[in-house]
Amino acid sequence: MTIPILWLVLAGPFWAALGAWRLPRVYRKKGLDDAPARLIGGLGGLTLGPFLLGPLWYFTPDLGRWYWGGGTGILAAFELVGLFAIMQSDNLCVTNASYVANQAANGLTIGFIYALMAVGLTLIYSVQGIISFAHGQFYMLGGYVSYYLLLFLSERFGIEVNPIVGVPVAGLVTMVVGFAFERLFLRPMHLGRVERAGEYAILITFGFGFFLQYTALAIVGPFSQKTGTYLQAGSLQLGTLVMIPNRLIAAAVGIVLIALLLYLLNRTWTGKGLRAVSMDKQAAAVTGINPLRMNTLAFGIGTMLAGMSGAALIPVFTWVPWVGMTASTRSYVIIVLGGLGSVPGALFGGLIIGLVEALGAGCYPDPSKGAAYKTAFGLIIFALMLLVRPTGLFGREP
Amino acid sequence: MTRRTAFGLVVILTIVSMLAACGPTPEPQTIVQTVEVEKTVVETVEVEVQPTRPAGETIRIGGVGPLSAPGSVVGGIAMQFAMNLAVSDINAEGGVLGKPLELIFADTEGLPERGAAAAERLITENGVVAITGEYHSAVGLAELEVCHEYGVPCLFSETWSDAITEAGYMEVFRIAPASSMNSRATAEWFAAVGVENVVSIVENTDYGIGQDEADQGFYEELGINSQEVFFVELGTEDFLPILTRIQALDPVPDAIRVAVTGETSFNLEQQMAELGIAPSEDTIGTANQVAIQPEFWESVPNGAYYVFSLVGLPPSLYNDTTTHVAEAYSAQFDSDPPSYALEAYDSIWILADAIERAGTTESTALIDALEDTDITLAQGRYYFEYTSKNPLPDNGSVPAYMWHQWPDPAVLLLQYFEPNQDWKDAAVIWPEVYQTHGTTYIVPGTTP
Repeated sequence: MTIPILWLVLAGPFWAALGAWRLPRVYRKKGLDDAPARLIGGLGGLTLGPFLLGPLWYFTPDLGRWYWGGGTGILAAFELVGLFAIMQSDNLCVTNASYVANQAANGLTIGFIYALMAVGLTLIYSVQGIISFAHGQFYMLGGYVSYYLLLFLSERFGIEVNPIVGVPVAGLVTMVVGFAFERLFLRPMHLGRVERAGEYAILITFGFGFFLQYTALAIVGPFSQKTGTYLQAGSLQLGTLVMIPNRLIAAAVGIVLIALLLYLLNRTWTGKGLRAVSMDKQAAAVTGINPLRMNTLAFGIGTMLAGMSGAALIPVFTWVPWVGMTASTRSYVIIVLGGLGSVPGALFGGLIIGLVEALGAGCYPDPSKGAAYKTAFGLIIFALMLLVRPTGLFGREP
Repeated sequence: MTRRTAFGLVVILTIVSMLAACGPTPEPQTIVQTVEVEKTVVETVEVEVQPTRPAGETIRIGGVGPLSAPGSVVGGIAMQFAMNLAVSDINAEGGVLGKPLELIFADTEGLPERGAAAAERLITENGVVAITGEYHSAVGLAELEVCHEYGVPCLFSETWSDAITEAGYMEVFRIAPASSMNSRATAEWFAAVGVENVVSIVENTDYGIGQDEADQGFYEELGINSQEVFFVELGTEDFLPILTRIQALDPVPDAIRVAVTGETSFNLEQQMAELGIAPSEDTIGTANQVAIQPEFWESVPNGAYYVFSLVGLPPSLYNDTTTHVAEAYSAQFDSDPPSYALEAYDSIWILADAIERAGTTESTALIDALEDTDITLAQGRYYFEYTSKNPLPDNGSVPAYMWHQWPDPAVLLLQYFEPNQDWKDAAVIWPEVYQTHGTTYIVPGTTP
């Protein structure tokens, strides 16, 4: 126990709090850029305490350089893992490398699945400036579209198709519904016909989400449903890793769709138009881009991605009309963690939440409580991020 | 004006007033004036609050159960249907005390605070003479306090937590098995098939925690080692973090006990089977009782060889009432009635029978009549062994949950041995007296 106590005295949370609180003031006082000072001060205090904070305080180097954030971040990770290993020497995460690799691989796989849903939400926020509280219900709708498409093909024509077929169809249907909803209910807000637009956006998306959920409950009932699996296979052994193939396929769908979205945003005129509107609507309008059209397009693409992630996951998880509630809550956490409006941020946010949940539940000292605290582990990272970097990983300064 | 001057004026005025009061009494003057006085009398009257019971055309019974998430909507809808069926059957036979029976069903959403509010509303606003139903133990525990407060009988038809009847309230009765009854059946079967190490995956609710506490008691009694207990939240989709932990256990567990309900259990059971953890040659896999629902196979396509419990009797032992309910339920839902639907049906009949015998809807008389229940319905013969007339022994030889508890609910263990198998074709493996395939366990990959 000597090393943990030494750590608490010479580094640790006290110095982290002091660094995060005091260092930005020192930088401001000297007229320097204080933006990264809170994060570096926090991480520097956590890892090396006064031994790093002292020189930073005295010399005030340019903390905008990548190696400050990267270096202190990596050092903090190593230090915390080392402390955990000392204090929990018989924990599976310390004694069994293949166990850690399995947990990490599962966390990354589910992370891609989480990210797919979150990128749609962040795209809507980035262009429209609103959080869609109906996003989880579009995810639910996508799953049901795929389910009933496959059922229809099977019962009407006797064709058994792979659930992957349902993914684009679900995307198409949810995009059309998204377009219609945006044109009918959100466009008046952008045209200035609605007072208190912020509150209106929350209420109207929330209300539409309820409408979708309870309509689904009335039509399909409360009984759980699921399509057939992508592959008729059990687990897949890759060296010491044991994976579920159907989950890997769902994650692969997520990776492909996120890659396509990034291509659209970065390599096409439409994507550049969307990005331009997200940066400055008026400037974009001056250059000939129609912001209203881009709003509709962004909402449609966002709901399409939610629907496609639902269709990709209905072969993996059991589906009920309220399945979107948990998924959407997790998406809000991911996009704030990654930085509101940032697609790469949503991707990294999803991966971080996936990893933290898996390793948190897998490594928590009391196994009986690890799984019950799974969501809490993600929320702790979320809270810490808000504390040291309120704009999120890739968020823009307001 | 200075402070000193002001003080002086106040003193002078005071002295003048006092002198005026002490002066000669003036001549009396008679002034006649008519004044209208409105007198408000505030009086506190203590009145014992009696639930509103309109002497109407019908006798009202309150039904409680989850019809919305996060509660088990499937369970609530099944119970509501069965209760309505019972009410219509009773009314077809002339009602109770010459009046038609009326069911007022309240959605408790699986939330204790909603359950308590619903029970209170049913008693105080709707004037129900008794409350029955409920699916979730946590909600039942909140509702029973309301019933106790108002002195209205509550007959729980599905909540399993031992704590429901352990409270020992006169108003509270139960016809579902207590968690301990279910635990005993499973633990005794584990012992019979030679299970030494067991891992439990338990939902973090009153039902799950109560079930696990009861399990642990029987494991200890029967010499079974509880290797690990994992608590999970209802609504969890991804179970790989804990399943990976189970994979790393040494020794490999002989059995995995699942005490998780609803669609959450389907996700868990499918992932367990997909990873090859259980059911496997090394490890017995138990599934939640909702495995009898037809959607089990859609959600758990790898579910062959799962063992699950069935409360009540197999179809081969159905009586006329069970067959009647099964036919009506099947016509509505295209599936066989789960135990909670049969229990919900029976609960209405038990209350109707008690009202008829009591000859009144007055609570005390009704509770007294309920204690004397002896009626055969869809799930068998109902009676309550430990009542005010036959109290629980003081020496603790009978568990406290047996108070107002139906002592004979049948808890059977069944096992699927083929994919997509109808639960009615599954092998009954425990208790031995009901075995259909002559075995206590079918090893995965074999056929009985």
